[in-house]
Amino acid sequence: MRRETERETGKGKGETWVRRALRAARRVLGAPDYDAYLEHCRVAGHEPGMSEREYVAQFFEAKGKGLRCC
Amino acid sequence: MNRIGVLLVWGGISALGAAAFGVLALSRGETINAAWLLTAAVCTYAVGYRFYSRFLASSVFGLDDRRATPAERFNNGRDFVPTNRWVLYGHHFAAIAGAGPLVGPVLAAQFGFLPGTLWLVIGVVLGGAVQDFTILFCSLRRDGKSLGQMAKEEINQSAGITGMLAVLFIMIILLAVLALIVVNALKASPWGLFTITCTIPIALLMGWWMKRWRPGKVGEASSVGAVLLLGALVAGGWVAAQPQLAPVFTHSATALTWMMVAYGFVASVLPVWMLLCPRDYLSTFLKITTIVVLALAILVILPPLKMPALTPFARLGEGPVFAGKLFPFAFITIACGAISGFHALVASGTTPKMIARESDARLIGYGGMLMESFVGVMAMIAACTLDPGVYFAMNTTPAGLAQASQVLSQAGFVVTPDVMHQLATQMGEQTLIARSGGAPSLAVGMAQIFAGVTSALGGRTLTALWYHFAIMFEALFILTTIDTGTRVGRFMLQEIVGHVWPRFGETSWYPSVLASSALIVAGWGYFLYQGVVDPLGGINSLWPLFGISNQLLAAVALCVGTTILIKMGRARFAWVTLTPLAWLVIVTMTAGWQKVFSPDPRLGFLAHAASLAGSSNPDAARLIFNDRLNTFVALLFMTVVAVLIVTSLREWWLVLSRRKPALVHEAPFVESAYATGD
Repeated sequence: MRRETERETGKGKGETWVRRALRAARRVLGAPDYDAYLEHCRVAGHEPGMSEREYVAQFFEAKGKGLRCC
Repeated sequence: MNRIGVLLVWGGISALGAAAFGVLALSRGETINAAWLLTAAVCTYAVGYRFYSRFLASSVFGLDDRRATPAERFNNGRDFVPTNRWVLYGHHFAAIAGAGPLVGPVLAAQFGFLPGTLWLVIGVVLGGAVQDFTILFCSLRRDGKSLGQMAKEEINQSAGITGMLAVLFIMIILLAVLALIVVNALKASPWGLFTITCTIPIALLMGWWMKRWRPGKVGEASSVGAVLLLGALVAGGWVAAQPQLAPVFTHSATALTWMMVAYGFVASVLPVWMLLCPRDYLSTFLKITTIVVLALAILVILPPLKMPALTPFARLGEGPVFAGKLFPFAFITIACGAISGFHALVASGTTPKMIARESDARLIGYGGMLMESFVGVMAMIAACTLDPGVYFAMNTTPAGLAQASQVLSQAGFVVTPDVMHQLATQMGEQTLIARSGGAPSLAVGMAQIFAGVTSALGGRTLTALWYHFAIMFEALFILTTIDTGTRVGRFMLQEIVGHVWPRFGETSWYPSVLASSALIVAGWGYFLYQGVVDPLGGINSLWPLFGISNQLLAAVALCVGTTILIKMGRARFAWVTLTPLAWLVIVTMTAGWQKVFSPDPRLGFLAHAASLAGSSNPDAARLIFNDRLNTFVALLFMTVVAVLIVTSLREWWLVLSRRKPALVHEAPFVESAYATGD
């Protein structure tokens, strides 16, 4: 069974609340999360297709196509 | 909590909200505390969220947590990622909240605090939040498809193309009006311009940091950027005080217009990681922090409102900030915060691809919009804490002020030049007269609220620093919207032209990138320029055009939502989208008609053009052309939406009369792994 939101994966277990808060803040800001990508690949059972640099570059490129409201 | 306890709690919240509304409605000139506005708003939001959004979620949409969302089915660890609902709530809020909910209420304050506040609070519960939630739900059930794609599939092909063109035109007007707000805030302001100029090298440094040096370390880069930004803010005060340096950063509105146009072009063609992404992170960081701090500051000092509940301009029209009567102009002046069509683009963009469970859409779609409305109420409070004389002197051009002088003096909304000079000195500016656009008056209101808190805490008031902090906060995320809007407009233009010239549609082909960027920037740059040079133009012309276009986009979204509800066999609930749709059509068509055909030259474009005919004004020919162009744009928006509404009505009739099968283009049901684990 796949459980991949922060709470369900238990990624937060063993981490301090500061680290968890920082992880949440990164997500709110819309920052790339390579660890989440690696976790996804592990759960999905395949090797990561991108290095961290490639992942970050693709992430920023996609972000540039998103809209910000008035 | 047992049933009686629940009844008591919600009964108490409802009674408190009703009492607060009663105090606001029954005020007759006495000073009202902002606490009543906050209480009325928060109680209404609470009741709306608890009861109305629950009804929408369970009875109208039938949200089903057993159904896997696009984030779960297409999870790729990048754009499709199941995300904690509170995290996504913050992310979605950061994407929908921009300058609109801050500036619109400030401008609408010319009618007094009551009309705008009522529209913000009631409009969001029955309209804006319903639209956002509906489109988010529709996109969620369609693999995260965009509004244009849904219009094409659920209504017809021409509806999709009409919708796409509408978005492109609306974006051009939006970018012009946002740029105008920045220009008006920064003209003849060396402190403000220095600080905003510094954001460019800071963003470039951040881009290099998180792309090249330490890939993905957005938190580190944003923290460094924020510290440098605060340093630039403090240094701005020093620069403005230096006789040699201050003139370098002191420019007229026209000069700033050309700078904005050049900036928009460069930002659109540079790689996205270099300027756009870092600026976006910096502005999101600053936006969330400042809004939280503003909310706390208002709660701490609970300022009294100096603006009356209703000003004479609510009844007479002829307001000096913008022309037109309360109906329909209060309802198009405040778009974001009450209902905004642009949100439909965000709700059918990134957000549906990140929702983990269908039921989360209620908090994110409906709840996110309630929070934006709350930001609008705070902006209204900040504007209404200003002395009315100061408010009108700041937000009115000299020509407008001269025309409204009699009404202003009768209402007691007068201010002496000495008071304005003293206020400008206190804020670290040369002048605050005719700083229209809403941003400077909001900044003065925010500065006074923040200074009130720092005084209460025993610190120095630092009013000038707070003023420029507020200007920086507003300008930073307006520039982010200009960056992203120009780039998205460029992509749309490349896609449209790509249908007839495929090479042009390649987003990485540099001649196409340069040409499409230049065309988009020229489009909004032209409207910006005419807004700056036309004495009766500017906010008076552009903001209503923007409001009309934004609300008409909301009408497009609600047409799509209604069509989907009818096709889902939920026609008996179609009133939830039809009610705000009908209101928007009445308001925007009336406003559009008045902007074009009103015989008042301050209001009607054609009347203004006629008043200039035969004039000795050397700019008359250009001003007449601008009026005709604005007429064309307003009529184009109205026609596009009328076509879409007629097309939708035909589709609804065909489906309801069973002349056409009710085919919905929902993704097939796939059971969620999350649900089976619960």
